[in-house]
Amino acid sequence: MKRSFASVAFILGWVYFLNAQSVLINGYVMDALSREPVENAQVIILATGEGTISGADGFFSLSVSHKFPVELSVEHITYEEIVLTVESNKTTDLILYLSPKSTYLDEVTVLGSFENEKPYRTETISAKTITKTSIADIGNLLRREPNVSGVRKGAVGIDPVVRGFKYAQLNVQLDGGTKIEGGCPNRMDPVLAHIDINDLENITVYKGPFALKYGPNMGGVISLTTYTPRFYEKFENHIEAFAGGQTNHTGFKSSFGVNGGNDVVAYYVKGNYKKYGDYEAGNGEVITSSLEQYNIGGKLAVQPAIGHTVTAGFDRSWGRNVDFPALPMDERKDDTYLYNINYFGTNLGNVVNYIRIKAYDAHVEHEMDNKSRPFSDTLVAVSQITANNAGGKFGINMNVLKGRVEAGVDYEQIDKDGVRTKYLILQPNLPKIYEDLWNNASIKNFGLYAEWQRSFTSLDIIIAMRYDHNVANSDTLIRGKENGNVVYENTNTGSAYNNFSFSAGITWHINERNSLMFSFGRGVRSPDMTERFIILLPVSYDPYDYLGNPQLKPEVNYEADLGYSFIQNKSGTLQVSVFYSFVKDYILGELVPPSQVPPQTRGVLGVKKFTNIAYARLAGFELSYATPTRYKWFARFNAAYTFGVNPEAVQYVRENGEVVDERIIDNDPLPEIPPFETNISLGYGFFAKKLVPELDLRVVAAQNKVSEANYEQTTPGFITADFVLSYHYHEFLSIYTGVTNILNTNYYEHLNRRIIGSKGPLYEPGRMFYLNLRFHL
Amino acid sequence: MNRKTTFLVVILMVLSAACSKPYPKKITYLATASVSAYNLQYLNKQNELAKTEVVPQSVQDVWTYEFTAEEGDIVYINGKYGDINSGLKIQVLIDGKVYKQESTVGDTINYIVVSGVVPYE
Repeated sequence: MKRSFASVAFILGWVYFLNAQSVLINGYVMDALSREPVENAQVIILATGEGTISGADGFFSLSVSHKFPVELSVEHITYEEIVLTVESNKTTDLILYLSPKSTYLDEVTVLGSFENEKPYRTETISAKTITKTSIADIGNLLRREPNVSGVRKGAVGIDPVVRGFKYAQLNVQLDGGTKIEGGCPNRMDPVLAHIDINDLENITVYKGPFALKYGPNMGGVISLTTYTPRFYEKFENHIEAFAGGQTNHTGFKSSFGVNGGNDVVAYYVKGNYKKYGDYEAGNGEVITSSLEQYNIGGKLAVQPAIGHTVTAGFDRSWGRNVDFPALPMDERKDDTYLYNINYFGTNLGNVVNYIRIKAYDAHVEHEMDNKSRPFSDTLVAVSQITANNAGGKFGINMNVLKGRVEAGVDYEQIDKDGVRTKYLILQPNLPKIYEDLWNNASIKNFGLYAEWQRSFTSLDIIIAMRYDHNVANSDTLIRGKENGNVVYENTNTGSAYNNFSFSAGITWHINERNSLMFSFGRGVRSPDMTERFIILLPVSYDPYDYLGNPQLKPEVNYEADLGYSFIQNKSGTLQVSVFYSFVKDYILGELVPPSQVPPQTRGVLGVKKFTNIAYARLAGFELSYATPTRYKWFARFNAAYTFGVNPEAVQYVRENGEVVDERIIDNDPLPEIPPFETNISLGYGFFAKKLVPELDLRVVAAQNKVSEANYEQTTPGFITADFVLSYHYHEFLSIYTGVTNILNTNYYEHLNRRIIGSKGPLYEPGRMFYLNLRFHL
Repeated sequence: MNRKTTFLVVILMVLSAACSKPYPKKITYLATASVSAYNLQYLNKQNELAKTEVVPQSVQDVWTYEFTAEEGDIVYINGKYGDINSGLKIQVLIDGKVYKQESTVGDTINYIVVSGVVPYE
């Protein structure tokens, strides 16, 4: 009996002991958008206040002595807090996804930031900012950021310019590595034109040649992140919808999406539709700018084991009848197909933080013509181009040398071909002329990269390097005439380059409020398709036919950035950055005598061939300030300026529409550099920030530092004012209404191209009223 | 229907209403005002060049060819006659309205060409 009693007492005691002893809860804290680990997140047991902090790989381990279920709170300064209930101690290895704080993102939208301890300037735009504007084009949206401008040729397809760098000098990519090659030689469909603005969750601009893990980077990286499927503890479905309409550039944009999932499978299906008519400038001039674009896409994510996610995505988009008044043709049809598959794995031991694998294919079928132009009365020209960009990436992030190393390989292959058909519709028998475009051109780039980061007590250091092997070729570059004569022929189309890039940066946290940053980098980029293979088309801002040069050397950007950051809870955030850039082998056009190659386009002055000049210099700064988010009112300010110089520019002297001489101009400003600009935003949050009126002022100086050698024209300065009223009626519904260009200012940006067939500028839209509704169920 | 389903149906209805295609256009080629035989060459509904010889009974005789086309399609017709005492008038009509026309009298050397692109609305 005694024995039995002792046994029962022992068992009861053991059970009590088991209940009383602490249990470990392990897990990872991850960014819901980027799926990257979130470091320094506080995981706290609400009942006891005990807690821990996540590590560099997002991992945390928390000892729980409290009785289950346990309520946990997860907090981080830049993410929305979450509270969850852990039902039993059998639940281990949790994956907790945090969404970026909208207030934080809103702040950095205007400010830019040195986020993630990066010692160089970045700018971030959040989904919330996108939702509250009437803007339908991503390039247009980017123009609001300091030292980010855009080349406008129509209502959409605005090509970004960052600190004076543009086109292939910028690495523009989607969802961590997907790249897209547009079809149009005149870049009516740059990368950004193939993505719907409503599909974006955020945009980050990494300025300078410092971020090397994203691929070859010479002037900066523009990284777009589209909607992401989210895992839920239990199966859930949600509906997202957006509808926005506007006066002037009359039309609307809309989107509809369904998403959901459980802890193993998550999905997102979304479609967008937008349609606009012409717009009226401030002076009443009607600018041809109608367009229709729509798309449908989806993503499916599977988490077969804790910490391992496989995501497959597709997007199919259509562009129809998109007007480009500053180009010789309009987009008639653009069909884009994007496919990608990604793996992201954590929970891989103590050394490896995560592994990232990606493969993608981006296929563009682009058709454009001059059918809406007066010239089509005599000659109808139709260009059909197929452009394909396929590639992949493997990256591994490890704890090495008391720091973190991300190393990997990436590959990109661009293939492009097309034909231009000219119908001579005033001639008997309706003759047709076929001209090859892109001539089966191909560029392959294989890269190796490594980036090491380490934090000391008051210093953060980051060192990156990358090697690229770039190979390109095409069929013979040839342009013939109707009579069979050959105007231009080049059989030497192959080239191969080995490019080495590196960067190093340091952040000195002087104290809790003040930080000083310095970065130095060498970024190399190989010439792009246009610079290598274009044949006698007017593809630049000046009136010349351009010839590609397959033997061009890569451009090399040596850049130094110095930054200062002051962040204080009561005073706000002040950030200053200055940069100096020395670009060796800068690529520009050089005149070819008409006796060698005669121009083929009506109205041009001659032929220019892409060539490397010895060097060019660029310098500038960004300054930004924002009040703390703790107050109901807010004020934001930023100012930015870039200046570029060609030390020895050649001017081709024109007389009566012909080039008659040439002369050297010392220290000529580089063309297409935006002027000094400032932005000021003021607002107040009523009713716990549910109702927020905001006034935005934009003051842009005249651009008088223009390229004399290129006969670039000056641009007058201007001031515009916008007003937006945001009303978060309910969790399910947000309303945004506003007026853009309140003063109906008649203005144009310095980088806007001229309207074809006139010497007039392409004006920006005049006053416009809009209303956006966002639903979430 | 629950709230989400109702919402879904409304959105799909709005989207389907927005995605309307433009109506096809009725194209008419018309040749007249000739007293003797003439040759025509025109882009037909298959978008191929077709040829025909027309022998009118009187100057009022009218030759026509109709088909449907879409915005941006090329319309093209040319005509030539060999009788110096004759003439020819060619019209292209879009949805019954004259889009372009040309005519000559006594010109046996040059072709009359009427062509263009069906305009975008």
